[in-house]
Amino acid sequence: MIRFGLTRGVTAAAMMLLLSAVLFFSTEALPGDAAGVVAGADATESERAEIRKRLGLDEPAVARYVTWLGDALTGDLGRSSAAGRPVAEVLASRFGNSVVLVGLAVAGIAVLATTFGLVAGLRAGRLGDRLLSSMTVTLIALPEFLLATGLVVALAHQGGMFPAVSIFPPGDSPWQHPDMLVLPVTGLVLGGLGVATRLVRAAVVSVAESPAIEQARLDGESGVRLAWSYVLPAAAAPGIQGLAVMAAGLLGGSLVVETLFNYPGVGSELARAVTYRDAAMVQGLGLALAGSALLILFVGDLLAGLLNVRSRPASWRRAERGAP
Amino acid sequence: MTRAILGRLLTAALLLTMLVALAGPWLPLPSPTERVGVPFEPASWSRPFGTDVLGRDALARTVHGGRTLVLQALAATALGSIVGLVVGTCAGLARGGPLKGVLRVVDGLAAVPPLLITLLIAAGRPGSDFAVLVAVTLVSLPFSVRVIGAATARLAGLAYVRTALARGDGRFAVIRHDVLPNIASEAWAEAGLRFIAATQLCATAGFLGLGAPAPAANWGRLVRENAVGAGAQPWPVLAPALLLVVLALGMTLTADRLTSPVRRPRNERNTAP
Repeated sequence: MIRFGLTRGVTAAAMMLLLSAVLFFSTEALPGDAAGVVAGADATESERAEIRKRLGLDEPAVARYVTWLGDALTGDLGRSSAAGRPVAEVLASRFGNSVVLVGLAVAGIAVLATTFGLVAGLRAGRLGDRLLSSMTVTLIALPEFLLATGLVVALAHQGGMFPAVSIFPPGDSPWQHPDMLVLPVTGLVLGGLGVATRLVRAAVVSVAESPAIEQARLDGESGVRLAWSYVLPAAAAPGIQGLAVMAAGLLGGSLVVETLFNYPGVGSELARAVTYRDAAMVQGLGLALAGSALLILFVGDLLAGLLNVRSRPASWRRAERGAP
Repeated sequence: MTRAILGRLLTAALLLTMLVALAGPWLPLPSPTERVGVPFEPASWSRPFGTDVLGRDALARTVHGGRTLVLQALAATALGSIVGLVVGTCAGLARGGPLKGVLRVVDGLAAVPPLLITLLIAAGRPGSDFAVLVAVTLVSLPFSVRVIGAATARLAGLAYVRTALARGDGRFAVIRHDVLPNIASEAWAEAGLRFIAATQLCATAGFLGLGAPAPAANWGRLVRENAVGAGAQPWPVLAPALLLVVLALGMTLTADRLTSPVRRPRNERNTAP
């Protein structure tokens, strides 16, 4: 198990390194480099060169990447060129809000997807399953921003039930404004529910055909008890893994939902930084979001490995051979 | 029976949407960037969808907003298919070696939210539709390479492919004559799925303000910029949103029908060598 965890950890670290390089080199080439911004429009060429030297922009890109990565590892993400604040400070003030938003959505999706997945999977092919499958197909097909905008138009503009924007005073925690959380969380839930339900249903269908469940059925178990005590534990491992993939995907969805509602989180801040061409901010927040996604996937892998009783020896064997 | 009729209707709506997206800019309508009235003017005979957030003709903007999106998605899908077919078939035929190691990392990257990567790649060239196209292509590549690679690897172990390689046929000759004809149906199916994902990503990129800057119309951006007035004048939001819904649902169901088990034997017969 330790070796299994180590291989997964090394793979995740390699992916993080690759992502950070992609992130750095794609945003380093932002038109009009930082020297031009700092020096102003009517600076002479020698002044620009001076500033470039001071900011370290005269060094080769690879050297700057290594410096940036080293600084990032020690918690120094540089300074925003638009707002002038340290990126780490902005990240710290927004991260908690995003965790609350995504955490609530993950919890909601976990409950709903498990319920729907069990209902559909245990009645595969019947009316309830067909209805739920149509619902999941629709949810998967529609882009997240359409679902969220639909919610805003229906419940905020027409219904007037909830605020259409989720702007609250900087020091406040989102818990103090539950009415402003309802629509963003619902939007995220709708965005992730389709995929999650489909994954749970697939896991339940494959488990329901196994001899163990057949035996439990023959023993007279049925309904909620069968689902809760027999099917769910057996479907937990693939379910957890699916949940992790979905939770990582929600970080992408949070970009859209936070931007739409002006929710003060990492995603909306990143989208804003892209608009303002704020390279340091894009790099710092992008690194944080990508790192969080990889961390969630890594933890999901580990949990699934621990939960999956049947394949645990197999995963040990695979880990010993060095394959993931 | 009703399902079949519903499916036909949706396919017809899909084709119509594609037509509006591609040919719309040629329609004789007012300029999509010129202000013709006050913001959020209600619908009238001369302006069926009213005006948008800046008082521009909402119908003209809607009709102009689809072409970039559809062309971006088509180009990203085609590019992805080309690279995916080259890398996937080579990797599928190669047994072990460094190519497989690279593929494993790329495989892991497929789990990172595609929207996040698209944003980060496209952020380097703000205001460029081409950057969005490149980003969406790169994001969808792992899927293409994985599916094509797996399909090729299944064939690579078969006797006729091994015979062809053993008698000294070139690698590309084997790919051309022995592999490609037999993975054609898989390649089309995965291209269809990638086209759906690419449309979603391109629309979302427009929603987030990536791609061609402000006055340019784009269904994703139209939804965003007009959402503030949706309470008073829903058409500027509803029209692009409905077109996107038809596009997304229509393509999903069409892809579903084309790849469902009922149809598969016919596809295989068509593509058999």
